[in-house]
Amino acid sequence: MSTPVADKLPATRFIDPKVLIRIQNLELVARTVVEGFVQGLHRSPYMGFSVDFAAYRQYMPGDEIRRIDWNVFGRSDRLYVKLYEGETNTRVLVMLDVSGSMRYGSGEVTKIDYARILAASLCYFSHHQRDGVGLLTFDTEIRGHVPPSRRRGQMLTILSELDRVQPSQQTEFRKPLRFLAEYLTRRGVIVVISDLYDEPDNIIAGLKALKAKGNDIIVFHIMDNFELTFPFEDMAQFEDMETQKKLHVIPEYLRTQYLAILKEHMERISKELAGTRIDYCLMDTSKPLDSGLFTYLAARSKSV
Amino acid sequence: MSLLNPFFLFGSLALAIPVLIHLVRREKSEIVPFSSLMFLLKVPKRSIRQQKMKNLLLMALRLLILALLVGAFARPYMTQPAKPVPSSISNRGTVLMLDNSYSMQYGDNFKKLKDEAAKRIDGLRASDRMAIIAFNESASLLMRPTGDKNTLKAAVDTLEPSFAGTRYYEAFTLADRVLGEFSGDQKQLVVISDFQRNGWNRSSRESVIDNDVKTETVNLGIKDSNNVGIDSVIVEQPTSFSRTYTGRIIARIHNYNQEKPVVVPVVVMLDDKEVGKKDVTVSAKGTALAEFNGFDLRLGFLKGRVRINSDDPLKVDNEFLFSIERREKLNVLVVDAGKAKQSQYLKQAYTSSAELPFEITNVTASAITPEELAKHEVVIINDVPRLPEKVRDKMDELRKTGQGQMVILGENADISWWSAYPKLPVKPVQKIFVARDRGKPFVSMTSYDRNHPIFKPFEKSTRVAMNSAQFIGYMSAEAKPDAAVLAKFEDGSPAIVESSKDDHGLLVFNSTVDTRWNDFPYKTSFLPLFQEMIRYLSRYNESRGWYQLGEGISVTAGVGNATAAVIDPKGERQSLGDIVAGQSKFFTPSMPGFHEIRVGPDTRMIAVNPPSSEGNLDPMPPDELIASVQRTQGESQQAGFLASDEKDEYARRQMGWWYLLLFALLAGMTEIYIANRRYKTS
Repeated sequence: MSTPVADKLPATRFIDPKVLIRIQNLELVARTVVEGFVQGLHRSPYMGFSVDFAAYRQYMPGDEIRRIDWNVFGRSDRLYVKLYEGETNTRVLVMLDVSGSMRYGSGEVTKIDYARILAASLCYFSHHQRDGVGLLTFDTEIRGHVPPSRRRGQMLTILSELDRVQPSQQTEFRKPLRFLAEYLTRRGVIVVISDLYDEPDNIIAGLKALKAKGNDIIVFHIMDNFELTFPFEDMAQFEDMETQKKLHVIPEYLRTQYLAILKEHMERISKELAGTRIDYCLMDTSKPLDSGLFTYLAARSKSV
Repeated sequence: MSLLNPFFLFGSLALAIPVLIHLVRREKSEIVPFSSLMFLLKVPKRSIRQQKMKNLLLMALRLLILALLVGAFARPYMTQPAKPVPSSISNRGTVLMLDNSYSMQYGDNFKKLKDEAAKRIDGLRASDRMAIIAFNESASLLMRPTGDKNTLKAAVDTLEPSFAGTRYYEAFTLADRVLGEFSGDQKQLVVISDFQRNGWNRSSRESVIDNDVKTETVNLGIKDSNNVGIDSVIVEQPTSFSRTYTGRIIARIHNYNQEKPVVVPVVVMLDDKEVGKKDVTVSAKGTALAEFNGFDLRLGFLKGRVRINSDDPLKVDNEFLFSIERREKLNVLVVDAGKAKQSQYLKQAYTSSAELPFEITNVTASAITPEELAKHEVVIINDVPRLPEKVRDKMDELRKTGQGQMVILGENADISWWSAYPKLPVKPVQKIFVARDRGKPFVSMTSYDRNHPIFKPFEKSTRVAMNSAQFIGYMSAEAKPDAAVLAKFEDGSPAIVESSKDDHGLLVFNSTVDTRWNDFPYKTSFLPLFQEMIRYLSRYNESRGWYQLGEGISVTAGVGNATAAVIDPKGERQSLGDIVAGQSKFFTPSMPGFHEIRVGPDTRMIAVNPPSSEGNLDPMPPDELIASVQRTQGESQQAGFLASDEKDEYARRQMGWWYLLLFALLAGMTEIYIANRRYKTS
């Protein structure tokens, strides 16, 4: 999960998910995450590249000289650059998996908590960029839907929707993705946040259909550290949080096989998605969330 | 297959520990919520099963090692192939053990015993054989194995209750020997008895009856007997020297009844004449004493009886026999040289107490006549120069008739005359004055023959020491070859010498018994030594008041060889043959009553009583007795092995532990290999 870029980042720069989870206000959480994140990206040369004027900003070293408004300079002897709207004015739809398995958490942070913060952060970030932001929660069905919009108050609606989610059912990608493929008429960015507990074929087929319509898709694979390492020792009855099915498990018998199957599952998905230019990012809930975001966006910016 | 240390099998409980831990942990396995079982369910079952199998195999191996160790410590051994069980149609060999101890005279017990025996005989089939053993204190084979019912019945009919006690062990030993004759038959042992507890010695004894013998008991025991009997009688003076009996006759009466006390009249009879009577109250399960004394005795042996008038069913112990002998005192003649105080201490030694059985007559050597000599049982020649020839010859003659003689050689003795006396066991050499001849103030009598009867008083006493007397003079003498030196002075010179066995009855003391040559009369050892010497010379034996049936009675010849015989209470004479003088023969009476023992001209009467323990009829459970004498299966096999001397075979059958340890080692190595592989894999 961790990439070489993430490893080079100072740990103190990112906020521990355990700390974030103690902040009850989701908006505050999202702002905390995003502002730290944005601050890290302020040197990015890609911000505000558009044809519609939005505002002036004081010139800062690193800005392209051609973007300096010389008229303003002539009037005020100060260097300003022009900022334009429309460059990121796209529709971002966050698809959040609210199946029962998302309730799992080996420590204080469950996967749904982590995913909720991630979703909120992404929405806040996009909203901040004046993109139209929407939210769709799903398990076997579509459980909640906030269509993307740039209007004021959209963010509050999304946050309140995120607050309400109660994971319970199984994960089923086929149906929600089919619905989405029919529903979405305009192209945009689709962010999928899920633990991907479904057959890879179902996931990949659905996402491919969306991709085919010209959407830019990013998949955040949320996994708990225990799911990734299976560090259990004692014999126990494992209860499936989606189906409530129980299984006698002697961890030492199963660990190797389980990890092999999981690896195969993840590799297949990441490989297939990479083949269709869908971004895939594995997020370990024990790692800082903004670190994951940074890692992802850093990698993405390189590829653009 | 059997085990030598079966208690080690408790160790196998340890096998349950890992299994229990497994089950308990399984029961208590907690529920762990997990996001999805999707991947876990995809794990191939085969792989899990293989791992489980490996683990189960390991656990099984560990349990097997434990079980093998437990098995090895329990020392298994192979039992002999089971003997074929005799079918009901096979021949039966029965040994019938019939108790004819005197307790079986209780009521009609003996009749019941005969009836029961007759029933068993009637139950015999044509092919069956039976042997009969009668037992009391000893066991005898009444009838060898036979199938003839009439012969068996006749043998039972002739059986009479004895007066002997009960001893089971010897009877069972004999029964085992007889049962051995029934090889191949179904063996059976029938015991008909009152199962008196007294007959069984609880001390550990080897079991004698094989475990394949079928046992049956017919219990004629009496649980609550109302028997009252005489346990014993103490006759304080079995030999009396006075007309009026000064001792006491003490009878101990025992009431075996558990609940009620009884009052019994106790009568003492001498020669069938009642001489005393008392009523005695005996508490339940208790004893009481009845004392009698002060009656007159005639000379000779008197037949005594203590009798209680009780109407209990066991009559035998209601009468107890004893004997008392009244004798005249021993006539002792002291012949001395007529010097003042020469025999004073000697006479005092024999007359110091009225109880002593001695009558002393003192004459001088010049006045002694052969006739006078013949009137006495014992003659003491106390330091005289010489004796008249006739007297000396008479002495030789009287010794042959049993007279005891003692010669004291002191300062008056004429050495030449006494050394010429051929029958004297010593040859006097010289009168020794210690200070002059030996250069020291005195000598002591330092060594003596402790086994000789005359030194009996010094056997155990620490106060009376022979060496305390100081001798300033003594007669040095040489002992003749056949003579026995009984005591010596410290320079090795004989002090007391006994004549040879051919000329029995002459003792020589080589010093004086006044105080001129020694201070012996002042010492505590003087009186008992000289009294014992006279007793020995007179062949004086104290009689015993009574003997118990089965006890050996010594019969000793008095003077010279004699023919001995016993007249039993029925008047039948039993010869004991010739007895050499000084030797003994033993006679064991077979019935209670007064027995007359005749040795030559002497006759003495002894009373014989049945063992009083038989009066206690308290029975023991027959099963307990059978369990004590019958071997267990293991004992039988062990006994069989050792008897057949097949020790190698026995050892081979016990080799199981060795194989078990070997298997445990192999299992341990396999376990290490599998566990190691599994560890590496994981």
